This record gives sequence, structure tokens and C-alpha cells, in this order.
Amino acid sequence: MDRMPSWVRQHVAALRALLVLTVATGVIYPLLATGVAQALFNGQANGSLVEKDGRTVGSALIGQSFTDADGKAIRTYFQSRPSAAGDGYDPTSTSAGNLGPEDVIDLPDRTSLLTDVCARSKAAGQLEGVSGARPYCTPDGVGAVLKVFPDRAVSVNQLCPATPFIAAHQGLKVECARPGENYAAGRTVPVRGNVTTVAVPADAVTASASGLDPHISLVYAQLQAPRVARERGLPLEQVKALIDEHTTGRALGFMGEPVVHVLKLNLALDGA
Amino acid sequence: MSTHVLPSPGKAPAPRKDRRVGGGLLDPEQMIRSLPDALAKLNPVTMWRNPVMFTVEIGAVFTTALAIADPSWFAWAIVVWLWLTVIFANLAEAVAEGRGKAQAATLRAAKRDTTARRLRSRDDRTRWDLIGASELQQGDHVIVEAGETVPGDGDVIDGIASVDESAITGESAPVIRESGGDRSAVTGGTKVLSDQIIVRITQKPGESFVDRMIALVEGANRQKTPNEIALNILLAALTIIFLVATATMQPLAIFSKAVNPGVPDSLALTDDGVTGIVLVSLVVCLIPTTIGALLSAIGIAGMDRLVQRNVLAMSGRAVEAAGDVSTLLLDKTGTITLGNRQASEFVPVNGITERELAEAAQLSSLADETPEGRSIVVHAKQAYGLRERRPGELAHAAWVPFTAQTRMSGVDLDGREIRKGAATAVMKWVRDTGGHPTDEVGHLVDGISASGGTPLVVAEKGRVLGVVHLKDVVKEGMRERFDEMRRMGIRTIMITGDNPLTAKAIADEAGVDDFLAEATPEDKLALIRKEQKGGRLVAMTGDGTNDAPALAQSDVGVAMNTGTSAAKEAGNMVDLDSNPTKLIEIVQIGKQMLITRGALTTFSIANDIAKYFAIIPAMFAAVHPGLDALNIMRLAGPQSAILAAVIFNALVIIALIPLALRGVRYRPSSASKLLSRNLYVYGLGGIVVPFIGIKLIDLLIQFLPGMS
Amino acid sequence: MPPTLAGILFIASLLLALALCHKPLGDYMYRVYTGAKHNAVERVIYRLVGVQPDGEQRWGVYARSVLAFSLISILFLYALQRLQNHLYLSLGMQPVEPALAWNTAVSFVTNTNWQAYSGESTMGHLVQTAGLAVQNFVSAAVGMAVAITVVRGFARTKTDMLGNFWVDLVRGTIRILLPISFVAALVLTAGGAIQTFADHSTWTTLAGGHQTFTPGAVASQEAIKDLGTNGGGIFNVNSAHPFENPTSWTNWLEIFLLLVIAFSLPRTFGRMVGDHRQGYAIVAVMGSIAVISIGLTNWAELSAGGTVPQAIGAALEGREARFGTSNSAMFASATTLTSTGSVDSFHDSYTALGGGMLIFNMLLGEVAPGGAGAGLYGILILAVITVFVAGLMVGRTPEYLGKKIGAREIKLASLYFLITPTLVLLGTAAAMATEAGRSAMLNSGPHGLSELLYAYTSASNNNGSAFAGVSVNTTFHNTTLGLCMAFGRFVPIVPALALAGSLARQAPVPASAGTLPTHRPQFVGMVVGVTIILVALTFLPALALGPLAEGIH
Repeated sequence: MDRMPSWVRQHVAALRALLVLTVATGVIYPLLATGVAQALFNGQANGSLVEKDGRTVGSALIGQSFTDADGKAIRTYFQSRPSAAGDGYDPTSTSAGNLGPEDVIDLPDRTSLLTDVCARSKAAGQLEGVSGARPYCTPDGVGAVLKVFPDRAVSVNQLCPATPFIAAHQGLKVECARPGENYAAGRTVPVRGNVTTVAVPADAVTASASGLDPHISLVYAQLQAPRVARERGLPLEQVKALIDEHTTGRALGFMGEPVVHVLKLNLALDGA
Repeated sequence: MSTHVLPSPGKAPAPRKDRRVGGGLLDPEQMIRSLPDALAKLNPVTMWRNPVMFTVEIGAVFTTALAIADPSWFAWAIVVWLWLTVIFANLAEAVAEGRGKAQAATLRAAKRDTTARRLRSRDDRTRWDLIGASELQQGDHVIVEAGETVPGDGDVIDGIASVDESAITGESAPVIRESGGDRSAVTGGTKVLSDQIIVRITQKPGESFVDRMIALVEGANRQKTPNEIALNILLAALTIIFLVATATMQPLAIFSKAVNPGVPDSLALTDDGVTGIVLVSLVVCLIPTTIGALLSAIGIAGMDRLVQRNVLAMSGRAVEAAGDVSTLLLDKTGTITLGNRQASEFVPVNGITERELAEAAQLSSLADETPEGRSIVVHAKQAYGLRERRPGELAHAAWVPFTAQTRMSGVDLDGREIRKGAATAVMKWVRDTGGHPTDEVGHLVDGISASGGTPLVVAEKGRVLGVVHLKDVVKEGMRERFDEMRRMGIRTIMITGDNPLTAKAIADEAGVDDFLAEATPEDKLALIRKEQKGGRLVAMTGDGTNDAPALAQSDVGVAMNTGTSAAKEAGNMVDLDSNPTKLIEIVQIGKQMLITRGALTTFSIANDIAKYFAIIPAMFAAVHPGLDALNIMRLAGPQSAILAAVIFNALVIIALIPLALRGVRYRPSSASKLLSRNLYVYGLGGIVVPFIGIKLIDLLIQFLPGMS
Repeated sequence: MPPTLAGILFIASLLLALALCHKPLGDYMYRVYTGAKHNAVERVIYRLVGVQPDGEQRWGVYARSVLAFSLISILFLYALQRLQNHLYLSLGMQPVEPALAWNTAVSFVTNTNWQAYSGESTMGHLVQTAGLAVQNFVSAAVGMAVAITVVRGFARTKTDMLGNFWVDLVRGTIRILLPISFVAALVLTAGGAIQTFADHSTWTTLAGGHQTFTPGAVASQEAIKDLGTNGGGIFNVNSAHPFENPTSWTNWLEIFLLLVIAFSLPRTFGRMVGDHRQGYAIVAVMGSIAVISIGLTNWAELSAGGTVPQAIGAALEGREARFGTSNSAMFASATTLTSTGSVDSFHDSYTALGGGMLIFNMLLGEVAPGGAGAGLYGILILAVITVFVAGLMVGRTPEYLGKKIGAREIKLASLYFLITPTLVLLGTAAAMATEAGRSAMLNSGPHGLSELLYAYTSASNNNGSAFAGVSVNTTFHNTTLGLCMAFGRFVPIVPALALAGSLARQAPVPASAGTLPTHRPQFVGMVVGVTIILVALTFLPALALGPLAEGIH
């Protein structure tokens, strides 16, 4: 090695160092960690799997969709949050929605985040028998957004022949949006409306970060409780008790948020 | 040791006439005079040396082309102010140089074309050739007589003469120049008033002291100092960053315009992005033009301030080093103490009253014209009311003068023989005249020495009367000055030939941090090396040839103009007033120069914040109405906002020229306090001032055509 | 407990834990990097590598060693991805396409861990553990080694020798990263993170659908990905995935891990330069910026500005229910203030100003506290620039820790300081100017601009997080982002090491009352100010057209 030019020697040393460290950190470390983890925390290390009647039905950490083959909510189950992972809760294509706070105008190939939120709110409201109204949402469940021109205003997310959510904006007549027309030149004006009380909680209308969120908020669980109790013919009190049973508070009293585990709650209902 | 053995070197400086040029404030006349120079500096070859302003000049050329192609009031207004920005910067430099030029003119007058009488042989004063002074070579010998001008720098090797050096120093009183010793140097251009001297020329042709002075004050071959170079690099880096930031904004701007197709084109933003005029305006406002414009003026002015205090720095580097000095070597005599010791007490031996001793001491000193002798007479009069008699009143008195052999002086009067002088000499005389001095005298002498004083024994034939306590007198205010130095982080070391005891007493009284006693030139050199080894920068003054090695070794070596050529050659500054106390001022000027640079850099960068608040909404509020919230100055319109920022940017250069030339206010204090103050004034001020300035300019210009 | 109070306690408890670890971990790292002894394992490693552990290197040799090691690592990782179908434990994955393989190789070697791919459907077990996870260790160790060497430049005097890269690399890996990671991996497993080399399996869900179990050595990689401020997760959704970050307390632990080394290194620095106070000053700079940033991000998120968050009633889109808005914001701040890039929530759906803060965190050069190692040398360079301007203002040639900051030092510091902003701006401009670049946007208008600005900011600053809606797995973006990552990492390292070399040669200047004190709050405030103002001035136009345009109404 001494007779090599120094720059070659350096690269040979680099390669050797990489290989040695690969063995240490890429082979020994993960194997050792796996060995110890499998021995000490076998359940967790293998995915905290949940069984029902001796059959694996999921992981305690991974949320599931409680919808039928057509994507409609199964009314006897508590519903999870919206998911952007594949067709919903697909662990092989985890994803968030990734749309921004001002994504308010529907495009030909996708709806806006605002419309998504409005539509989810409307659907959840219908499912639970409460109002799905929210600020910046039209009654028909799309984003309440105008494109304002000097002579007119267009409710861009309401395709004709829909009726615009307001008739006039600052003296301008509001029209429905004609498909295919380009409204880019107009000034974008989201309209808040006058909704003051919102019945459907935030987690019910938002996609989670992983698309696999196993939890919902306590509020959303309580909103769903009457419907589930009704559909299952169970007393509401029993359902609420089950909710409490499957609620996790903040760790140490201050970490994270209190949440209800949907899969375990539904499993408990099935067993009740 | 007696006062007579070691005559005090150097004399206290005489008051000199003030020769400051321009009090530091901006003189409008000088500005106008400098204008042609400022315009000449627009030459890109000159501008290239200043990357920040060169960038502005390129921008000005570019916008001029744009304005010609697509004229508008707004475009032309921007173009004019961009050119003014460059011109103002050049003006700052030209004004700074102009002040030096005035100085140089005075010096040139001294450098009239003189002739020289060159000796054929140095030992023969009668045979010489008359040649032009410029033909003189190093090592030539010339003879100069009363009324003649010294033809070049050199050392007196024979004779003594009084010389008028006012052309160089501004000091009208003639000085004595004599061969040998430390007052042998003469400078070309000075005038011999009396006698005749032979001078060996030490300069090379065209490199005389006056030549160098002229070059220095004119800034002809001014080299950038290390800190200036470093700062220039930082400024260039900032310029690059802002250029990149502005240039890369363009695709973003085009995109933003494209996604808002309903917004019409404006003078600031079109479908092709931000317009060239506005883009250049933004760059010019962001790059550090304020400090870029004033940087070289600050350096020139720093040198100039030294010149105003009659100090010539051989390089800007030396001035800067003065700011970094952490150890000051100060000669005791003349710097810390008044030049001479004074009688402070009469200490009689047993059996003699103080009054008797005082009377004897006074008698013996009546004819003694040394400062010490005079001080004895004065002290006897003040303390004991003894009348001072003129030597002539005492007809029978025979005065015994001081000689190097006897080392004492005195008087023989009416049979009394009184002597005073160094202890050993007087004691010997007492013993020789039959006396037996007791140990008591020895104790008194030692006691005085121990307290830092100089004992002078007074005796009559056969018996010792007592001892006069001569004391060094520390100049007023020195302790405060040294405290100040300490707060600035500068250690002061007193250099003295005195013994350690004496030195310590004076050091304590004056409040210096340390002292070097019984100092030889070698000790001095060793001390400097030791300090430097510890990473400290050392400043010192010196005048003798034996100071030369130490002057050369020190980081800031200030040679006294009265000193030898060797000393002047070795140092990197020359004090024309030959005032050793000035070292302290030199350090402060060095610091002031650095502080001015730092303060204006901070100011320049802090200014950018307000400019952004003016220009960003002006460019983009049309496409993103929310950004109008950034228009916190509520400027009238996009054009007036941008123009106001550009105008402010140009005017602030002019406004700060006086500060650059004068230097920011400097009060000696700790680094921490200095920083706080400068941060408030130039950092916080730099943030706030442009908000006010831009708003005011906008209020004025919003009515101009093309602004709305 | 009210949610806001819980959020504040969450942040406060993290700061407290970091403060408690600052001294012991900092002191431990000091001993690791300055100790003379080599342990038995290390001696074996040095023999296998073929280096003399006691020979020290000049800065140039040190830099060449860093570059050689990184070059070899990139080539190795590239080869591993391209050949993965021929290798054991591939889970049946296909070879990674060339542009993506280049991007990913550079990404992991530069401690960026930008992931243009979805882990669960692209990389097999072997590439994950023997390729990517290895770089999680060594890229962090390289960063720490460079930081320690820069500190040696300040600490040493009159020498050319700055240490031995191979020793620093091995010690950082073996003595610091491995033991902490091992413990952390087990704790994470206890919390539910998986750790298995099993194969995929499927189950039928309660509702009758099918779900696939996605296995992996997750906990072991999660630990080092956070500790080493890497950020490259096994899964596409990174630390939001319940298998990577199962509970609210593992979330706390992961944030702690990604901050702990960077916040402790200033202690090591203080010890090495022989003055604790200097270390405290640096950590105070980091802490101040971090607290300001975390506060502002939390404020922006909790006030839920913007149309959609207002419609929702909270900034909850792209957040996990168990973490909630505030803890997610804390994670997001921490990951962008360091060079980590792990995410437990999706920044693309943050409020405009909250997302803007995350971009700003990275634009700061990730110095508060920054990546493992990279943060320390980044802030020291900023301190040098601050000292220069401030030093002039006290009337002396500026000096920092007894070393003069002259022309050469400023040249190197400026070079360092220029590179990353230039890369961010040029990269963003290039992407915005071309159809190939712009087509990656998921969102439109200013938010789309922010997505690309975020991407090039993240790559150039070696962060690795993203406004994840952006579709950057294209030849254009894989290539340009790869270049940004490589230049953003290695070009600054060279002037940083050169600066160390230049400083180490100097004889120290003793401090006096005239010296600018660099351990007082005054100096801390100045570094904070200089850092924030310089960055704000450089990037305000870009930020104005992205997050500010979107967020101010």
C-alpha cells in the first residue's frame, strides 16, 4: 500500500473504512437490535398485531377503513379519519394529502382541499344526522370561493347548473361556473359565510399525516356514538363507556392529544 | 547617583502653533473643488478597485441604456440618482484626498529646488562643488551655513547650528542640531539659522523624508490595510449574495405575474418580470453602498488625522496596528514625569535645624542654573521664607561649579565652604576635609532612595548638614490617562534608567501597570520580544540611535523628529512635535479608524431592512395585494417608493462624508461598552433612520411627474 | 389540562431535558474526541482500515479524507441500489432507476436524506440497513468530525495538525452514535416501533378489506435517523407512520434525539477551547433562535390562519390525531432547525406563515442547533463574521477566541457563507424558470412556488424534509436536487476546514479589556441578530412571493 500514490491510498482506506463500518452499523447493529427487541418486546417488534377469534385482523398501530366495497361508511362501526394512503389506509402507499392552506379552487383533474373539507363535513354531518356546515363552505359541500371580475363574479367551485351560494357580491351578480371556462384572471375571494357553530370536528374532515392514523378525537367519537348505538341496538351509555375504555389520555398528562382507538373500539363493539 | 551625573534627556515640548487643515467638518467649497476629481474617478479602470461601487456604476450604465430605449420620467429619475450615487462615493474619496493635497502643497514649498555644496573630502571644508540637491547621493558630505537650506536628509557629523524646521513641523522656534548624540539628524528643506555644519547625506535621491511625506498625505501609493482588505472581501461577498438574490428573483416574479393574469403590467412588473430599472434599483439599495463608498475615505482620513496632529505614519498598516496595541512602552522622563526632579524636602542630620540646612542648600545653589538647583532655591524660599539672593549680592563668594570629576558644586563664602552633590562624592569630600560622617547620613540617603527620590547631600567643611530630597514630579492627569488605557485593555510599561526602587515609586505614583528599571536598549528589545511572543502588539517611542532596534521590533514605533536618522528610519511613524505623550493619541486614532469602518458597515447593512419595506411592496403588491401590508411607511406609490429608496441611498453617502472624515466619536472605554454604544447608534440607528428618511423623501417626490 | 398549556409543557420539558444532557453528553464527547487511548474494537478497525490512528493530518489531508470517504460512500450506495434485485433480502424490489439512485446516494451520504421515493415500495431490507442506515451513522459522524476539527482550529495554536479523520469518524460512530442509538432503538420498540426482518404479510380487516404488513428494521433505523439528524425513514410518511413513531411519548423522544447532539456539542466546544462560557454563549445563540422559531411556528399553527385551516377550525390537515397541532409544530421546527428532515406531520399543509417559518429555519443555514456537527461549524462561521463586524466596532483587529480574523479568515468564512444561499436561489430559480421544474408542483400559485423553494432550500441545506406534495422523482429534480445536496454539503466543508487550518497556525492573542468579549449576552444577541438579518435580507424576495404572499391578507 505504501507504493500507491497518496490519493489512491486515501480512497482505498475510505473503501475499507466504509466496509468495516457497514459491518458494524449495517449488520451487527440492526441484527443485535432485532435480537434484543424480539426477545424483550416481541409483540411490539412484530407490529403489535391484533387478533380476533385467533385470526389477525390488523395492527393496533395501523388504522383501518370501516367502509364497504363501494367506499360507503359501514354504519355499525365508528369511522376513522379520512385517509390519503392509496384508496384509504393502505400501508403500502402511505401518504398525506399535501394540499396547502389556500388550495381553494377545484381543478378539472382534482378537487381542492377546501372542497374536500366541505364535502367530508357535509357527508359526516349527514351520516351522524347533524349539520355539516362550515365556514367557507357552500351548502352543497364545496368551497365557497368567488372569482371576481370587473363586471361579474363567479362561484368557481359550483359548476353549472348549480345555484351559486350567494346571489350577489358587492353589487355584482354571482354566476355558476361553466365547465371549461378559464377564470384565472379573476380575483380570488373566499367567502366565509356566517356559520358560527360547527358540529363536525376537525379530525373528521382532515386527512392524517400517515394516512394510517388509528385514532380519532374524543369529540368525533362522541358524535358517532348515538348512530352506532342506534344501529347496533345498544344503549348509548354502553357505547360511551366503551369509548372511555378505549380513550388514551395525554402521556404524562401533557404529551400529545387525548384520542380514541377506532379499531379496538370497533372490536370491542363486535364483542359486546 | 546625582542629578548632575545624568542630565535628563529630551526636553518638555514647547507649545506649537496649530496647523490643522480643515477642522473635520465638511467644507462645501472643498466639495466643489473635489468634483472634477470625483468625475475623473468614474473611469472603470479606477472603479474596479472598489467592487461595490463598480457594481453600482455598471447598474447606472445599464439603466441609462434602458432609459434611452424606453424613456419615462421614472426611468430617468432613477438613472440620474444612480449616477449621483457613484459620484457621491467618488466625491468622498476625492475630498479625503483633497485635504491631504493641501498638506502636501505646504510641504512642496519646502522642497524648493536647492543647491548643495558637496565637499570633495569630508575633512576639508574649503574644497567643494556646487551641485543640484537632487544629484546628491547617499554618503555625500555637504557643508551648510547660516541662511542656507539643508539640501537633503542626513546626520550632522561636524559642528553645531540652530535650524528652522518650521516647514516640516510647523514649529517656529529654532532647534539645535549638533554632531554626535541624539540630535544629529537634519531634514532636507529646513533652514540653517546660525553657524556652519557638515552633513552626511543619508537619503537616496528622490526618497527624502519630505518626498515620502508628500506621497503619504496625498495617498498616492496608498495600500489597503489588512482590515480594509478583509472588510472589502466581506463587502464583495455581500454584493454577490444580493446580486444573486435579485437575479434569481426574476423567474419567481414571472411566475407570480403569470398566475395572476388579471393584473395589468406596471413600470415595476410586467409579464417579463421585474423591469430592469427596478431590478437595478433594488440591487443598488441592497448592496452595502454606504460603507463601500466611504471605505477608502475613512482610511485616508485616518492618516490625515494623524498628520493634523503632526504625526507621519509611514503606512496605513501602522495606523491600524496602533488600534490593536495592547502594550505601551513609555519613557519615564518627559512622558510620565516632567523632565526634571525638584527639591521637595530638607532632611537635616542630628544637631542641625531644617532652616540651617535650607539656608546652606540655598547658598550653595544660588549660582546653579540646573532645574534641580533652581528648585532648591525656590523650595527654600517657599518653605522657610529665605530670601533668594542674586549671586552678585555676595561679593566675596567664590562659586564652585559642577564638574564630572568632583560631581558636586557649591560656594566658598566668608570662610564657609558649602558643597552639595552625590552622596559618595560629598562624603568623600567631608572625610578629606577632616570630618567623620556618621552612619546617620547613610540611613537618610538610603531612605530617600528607597522612596524613589534622589538624595543630594549638603555639607560644610568637615561635617554633613543633611540631605535634600529631590523628587520626580509626575505630570498632572497621568494616572487618569493610564486608568483609561487599562479600561481600553492596554498595559502601560514605564521605561527608565533609574534603579528599581526609584522606578517602582514613580510607577506606583503614576499608576502604570509595570516598569522596566535600569533599562538598557537591549533590555528594551528583550521586553518587546517577550510581549510580542505573548501575542501582544507593542507601541513605543524613541529618539536615540540605540533605540533603533527596539523601534524596528515594535509594532508601532514612533520616532521623535528630534531624534537620529537611524531612529526615524527604524520606526514606522514620526512625531514632528517630538512629544512622547502623543503615543496615546495615536492609539486612539487607530482605534477610531477601525470603529468608523465597523460602524458604517453595520449602518449600511441595517439600512437594507427599510429599503426592502419600500421596494418589495412596490414591486409585488399588484400581484399579491396582501404584500401591501409590508408598506408600513405608507409610501405614495410604487415609483415614488423605489425612487425614494434610491435617493436616500445616495444622500446618505453625502450625509456621512463628514463622519467618515472625522471618525465616529471615540471615548476610551471597555470593548463591551463601546460595542453597546455603537450598536445602538449605528445598528439601531441604521434600522430606524432610513424609515424616516425614505418617508420624508417620498413625501417630497410624490408630486413629481411619473410618480403615480 | 388546556391544550395550549400541554403544548407549552411539551416544549418546556424538551428544553429541560436537553439542558440536563448538555453537560454530561458534551463532556463525554469532549473525552471521546480528545482522549489519547484507542479501545480494543477501534484498534481492530484501524488495522482493518489500514490507518495509523496516532498520526495527525493537516487540514488539506483531512479534507481529502472526508471527500474520499464520501465519494466512495456515494459510489457504494449507488451500486447497492442499482444491483438490489441481485442481492439478498431485496423483498423482490426492482433496481432503482439511475437518476433516483444518484439522488438517493447523494442524499444519504450528505446527511440530507431527501427521499424522492417511497421507501416501502422501492427499497429492500439490505439497501435499507446495509446501505442507507449505515450512512445515517457515518454521515453524522463525518459532520461531527468536521465540527470537532473546526473547533481544534480555535483550540490549537501554532500547529498545522488538526487531528485524524479516520479516528474521529470511527470514535464518533462507535462511541457516541452506536450506543445511544441502540438504547433508543429498544425504547422505541417498547413504545411499539417494529424491528423485524420478516417478509410482507396480509390480513383481512374488520370491514373485510385487505391490509399488508410492511416489515422493516424500523426502530434501529429510526433511532439513528433522528440522533444523527438524518431523517430518512423506512416509510414514505416517515415519522408520522405509526410503526416509526407510535405514541405521543415516542414523538417526544424522537424530537429529543434529533436535538440532543447538536445542543450538546457547544459544551464540547467550550471544553476544547478551555472556556465553558464560550460554549454557553454558542448554545445560547442556538437556543434563542430555536425558541423564537418554535414560538412563532406554534403561534402560526395554533391560530390556524388561511382559508382552509379556518374552514377546518384548526390546522389539522396532515397531522396525526395522537400528536395534535402543537406537538407536530414542535417536531417540524426541530427537524428544520436541525438538518434532520424527519417529519411527523406534513409541512405542505401547514399554514402559510407556519410553513414559511420552516423554510426560514432551514435558510438560517440550520444553525439552531443544526445538524450533528454541521450546526456547530455553521454557527462558528457566523460567529466569525459577527466578530469581524463587531470587532471593528470596538476598534481592534477582530479576534475570536484569541485568533485574529483577518483577510484570509474572512475570505474563507464568506465563501462558506455564500455557497448555500447561492445554491438555494439558483436551484429555485432554475426550477421556476423551466417547465420541467414547475411541473413538479402539486399546489398552484404562491404555495406551488413555496413547494419548490422548500425543496431547493431543503436539499442545499442538507435537511431532507419537503413540502411533500411536490413530485420530484423526475430526472430534472433528481439531478438538480442531487447537485444541490452534494455542493451544499461538501463545498462548505472545504473552506470550514481551511479556516480551521488557518486558525490553528496562529499564535493566540491574549484577551484584555479591549478585546470583544464573546461570552456575554451582548455577543449572543449580536450573533442572533446577524444570523437572522443576513438571512432575511438574502431571502426576503423569494419568501415574499411564496409564504408571505400566501399568508398575509
